[in-house]
Amino acid sequence: MIFRQFSALIRLSLLDLYRRKDLFVLLVLSLVLLAPLAMIQPFGVTGASRYMNEVAMLLIWIFSIVITLGVTSRLFPPEFESRTIYPLLAKPIGRGTLLFGKYLGALTTSLSALLFFYLLYGMMTGLRQGEWFPPIFMQAFLLHVGFVVLLAAFGLFGSLLVTPSANMTLCGIIVGGMLFYGQRLPALAEVTPVPAKWFVWLSYAIGPHFEFFDMRQRLIHSWSMVRWDACLLTLLYACVYSAACLLLANALLKRKKL
Amino acid sequence: MNARIKLENVTKRFGSVHAVEDLTLSLADGEIFGFLGTNGAGKTTTIKMLLGLIAPDSGTIEVLGGDPRKAVTRRRIGFMPETAYYYPFLNVRELLAFYGGLCGMEPKRVKERTEELLVKVGLESAAKRQLRTFSKGMLQRAGIAQALLHDPDLLILDEPLTGLDPLARIHFRDLILELKEAGKTIFFSSHELSEAELICDRVAILKGGACVFNGAVKEIAGDGGDNLERIFLNVLERPAVMEQGGVA
Repeated sequence: MIFRQFSALIRLSLLDLYRRKDLFVLLVLSLVLLAPLAMIQPFGVTGASRYMNEVAMLLIWIFSIVITLGVTSRLFPPEFESRTIYPLLAKPIGRGTLLFGKYLGALTTSLSALLFFYLLYGMMTGLRQGEWFPPIFMQAFLLHVGFVVLLAAFGLFGSLLVTPSANMTLCGIIVGGMLFYGQRLPALAEVTPVPAKWFVWLSYAIGPHFEFFDMRQRLIHSWSMVRWDACLLTLLYACVYSAACLLLANALLKRKKL
Repeated sequence: MNARIKLENVTKRFGSVHAVEDLTLSLADGEIFGFLGTNGAGKTTTIKMLLGLIAPDSGTIEVLGGDPRKAVTRRRIGFMPETAYYYPFLNVRELLAFYGGLCGMEPKRVKERTEELLVKVGLESAAKRQLRTFSKGMLQRAGIAQALLHDPDLLILDEPLTGLDPLARIHFRDLILELKEAGKTIFFSSHELSEAELICDRVAILKGGACVFNGAVKEIAGDGGDNLERIFLNVLERPAVMEQGGVA
């Protein structure tokens, strides 16, 4: 029974995305931006080719963040606003099942988009460089999946606290902040006076470390792969952190006034 | 007969507002029960408690012999909300497939029931249209279909006649009576006193969250020519004292 409920919720998420046409805008945009990059022949200059890859990867990261946050931020607030939550919860479905089913729906849509972007990138670089889907590419994709798993859970938790637009903004700031400064937080804490120092350490300790999943530089410069045990540990971190976000979201949903 | 719904001294307050006050009701198997009252009388709050959406502050609620907050109890309940709160981007077939999935129904069974119900509620020609293009009456009919989809034993209908044209009302009335014949128990809230009088076995009138009348419709009709409208006006104009017209 629970699998039929999950399947119904995943189907609803996919239909929502398909009918709203938001995804098409991003997919067309990505094609428009990425396809010309694949065509450009940078006169055999290696650095220029890498620059193309960097632009493409940056776009993929931005699009995946926008899509994941866009989908998860809208999972619950419209249900409460339009009151579709009443007939939904009147059915034999627990709130925990509903939350996890909606999370799976958001993941399915976000990961489908991510797969499309990576396939496009893989083909683009393959056409230009003659190397098709190298192992480092697969590892970067796997860690990006972990990033989306974590971001979807984090966004879902936020969607039960604030409005969709506020959630998108706040999560966007946290993701951007962690991607740019996450690694530098311990060094920053060392040079920061007390009590701000403790705040920086606390942010480092409890903040979601989105930067762990960023393999862009390794992929673009064809550096060596990350050790698989480190890679799996990072994915485990995503799962544990996501589970914590979902548990908190479940507690919030159960307390939500109807 | 078994009580399908049993509320004992149920009270629900929102801050200083007494939404439902010491409400005691019981609904027998196969009965059509009309739950009447003015706006803000506490009808929708009571329905939310019957569906396990909110918990009472005090008192006990038993629906189909179980706690409505448990999903297993809600498997046998069909609910139609007052206003059609459905996903506008779905068509009615997709809506029923979605709710069928939530009820844990097999896809084949969902398809069979969908075709049956589309004919029953007169939406077969509009089955492929998105709900955003539906009129209010059509949405109400889609609501009836989703409430009946999993063949529930108990139907809880919140203002089901809102937005229905006279012809649809007649069809709805026939449908309710047909469901009663099939052994279903129906609890519905309404403002439509004449309709309630026509189809209900018993009615309760709510005023300020308290039940001020609870009686059999037959007894009202036989009581000196009084009709439900007159009773309704009388009890609402008097201080809130419970009037027992039948079995509570």
